Amino acid sequence: MSANPEATSEKSSGGALLRVSSDKIGRLMDLVGELSLSVSETVNSPDLAGLDLVGFDAAAHRLSMIVREVQDAATELRLVPVGEVFRRLKRMIRELERETGKIIDLDIVGADTAIDKLVADKLYDPLLHVVRNSADHGLEPPDERVANGKSKKGMIRLAAQQVGSEVRIQVIDDGRGLNREKILKIARKRGFFGEREEPEPERLWKVIFEPGFSTAEKVSTLSGRGVGMDVLNTTMTDLRGRIAVDSEENNGTTVSLHIPVSLAFLDSILLRLGKQLFTVPVDDVAEIVKPGMSDLVGVSASKGTEMLKLRGSFIPVLRLEKFYGAKTTNLTPLVDMVCIVFQTTRGAIAVPVDEVLDRQQVVMKPLVGSLAKVRASWGCALLASGEVAIVLDCERLASGEER
Amino acid sequence: MTAQVAAETAVDTRMSMDEGVVDAESIDSMYLTFAVGEEDYGMSIGMVTEIVGMQRIMVVPDVPDYIKGVINLRGKVIPLMDVRLRFGMNERPYDDRTVVIVLEVNDAPMGLIVDRVREVIDIPDGNIDAASGFGSGDGRSVVSGLGRVDERVVILLDVPLLVSDMDVIAPKLAKA
Repeated sequence: MSANPEATSEKSSGGALLRVSSDKIGRLMDLVGELSLSVSETVNSPDLAGLDLVGFDAAAHRLSMIVREVQDAATELRLVPVGEVFRRLKRMIRELERETGKIIDLDIVGADTAIDKLVADKLYDPLLHVVRNSADHGLEPPDERVANGKSKKGMIRLAAQQVGSEVRIQVIDDGRGLNREKILKIARKRGFFGEREEPEPERLWKVIFEPGFSTAEKVSTLSGRGVGMDVLNTTMTDLRGRIAVDSEENNGTTVSLHIPVSLAFLDSILLRLGKQLFTVPVDDVAEIVKPGMSDLVGVSASKGTEMLKLRGSFIPVLRLEKFYGAKTTNLTPLVDMVCIVFQTTRGAIAVPVDEVLDRQQVVMKPLVGSLAKVRASWGCALLASGEVAIVLDCERLASGEER
Repeated sequence: MTAQVAAETAVDTRMSMDEGVVDAESIDSMYLTFAVGEEDYGMSIGMVTEIVGMQRIMVVPDVPDYIKGVINLRGKVIPLMDVRLRFGMNERPYDDRTVVIVLEVNDAPMGLIVDRVREVIDIPDGNIDAASGFGSGDGRSVVSGLGRVDERVVILLDVPLLVSDMDVIAPKLAKA
């Protein structure tokens, strides 16, 4: 319990800051999790059944309340203002000004938005690449800006805001915007789109995150090697985040990163399949359907693939038993199951489970050692009951990816 | 609950470790011995973090058969390997002497389900014979050596190999 005094003094001393190793905080979090488990075990002990314990019940209630508060306080320890990351970028932008000869106004919004320290640490590199791209490719040199009727100074805005359980971080510039023709030409050459295909802007902009994609004719020291956006992509996958790009010719580009506030906690729906427990992030679930006999189609011609008919369209059914190669001979008929419909980038999939148990805030843990090979999983989740569930990544389920 | 078993075991371990420290300066020659079937096995105590009683196992997908599932040990998720299955032996129902040896190998936790733990003993290098004749066929042998302790033979295990997912040759020993 050595982490305790240090951790609490940080809170009570208000303004004064204290450096605490993340290991200690991790240990504290583990202990707090254990504490809340033991408390719930004690309070709900079967030995107490049928006893009339007025005083005990009141005390147990108080205890549970305190434990919940301790849990919240411990969680907060890991949160840092995103402004720390922005400050480091500010220095970088001054350097970029010198190198590019552009004048850049940096605007920071929402610097006090709280984010998990682990996330914050991983955010600098990808953000750096986005900012570099804005400064190098997005913003025009002063004379070009004046010629286009813009102010001499270019603007880059770093904005952070909490939206639900996510933090949205935006890098906004008022530069020349993304060049649709140029990007489309390269995207077609690389085979992302067909020769005649005219993709939606949203879909087109996303290709700039593909590995090795760069439209810059010249590789500068700043950007154009096509590796930056790739770094962004990888990091965002690690952080369970999403990227969105919006751009308007001559009006600038906005790159938005949506990241969960905490990697440690996950708002999830708990599912049971046979003896196994799974959870999925609430946001991933599009719909939960109890299929009727007439909603199901079996396609024996295609290895017994099953399809779920939902409002006129057919959704492939993905059985977790098959996906994980379990040696089950009798699969439960789909009519006795509940289908979770996920909307993925490869289209919708329906995953049947025996039961939808609960919606729960769970503690996430990475899968290490011999568990690291479990496919299509973000990690495992510790439930309030002390049980362990596998957190499903529906994107990787849909892609049937090996790892 | 088998907490009592775990507690006793822990005490045993500590006591015999103390004795061992007197005999040898380092823990390198200290081995935790345990039984699987009729055979005695040993592993270096360096990687052992604790010994606990059998707990409620939660089944997880996409793991080899010998990984029975995971336990939640004070907030840590630990996969459990049934050593009998890893060795290709018959499964046996767990009883109140079944214990889990919790290891930390290459920063990853692993729990070994064994029939029962015996003691911590000191086996100097001079009393360990190379395990020749185990290395033929596919995979490597999990046996790193044979330790002589009085009249007994303790089969010493290559723990990192054991907990890896590589194919291994299970020890099939004639009684010594």
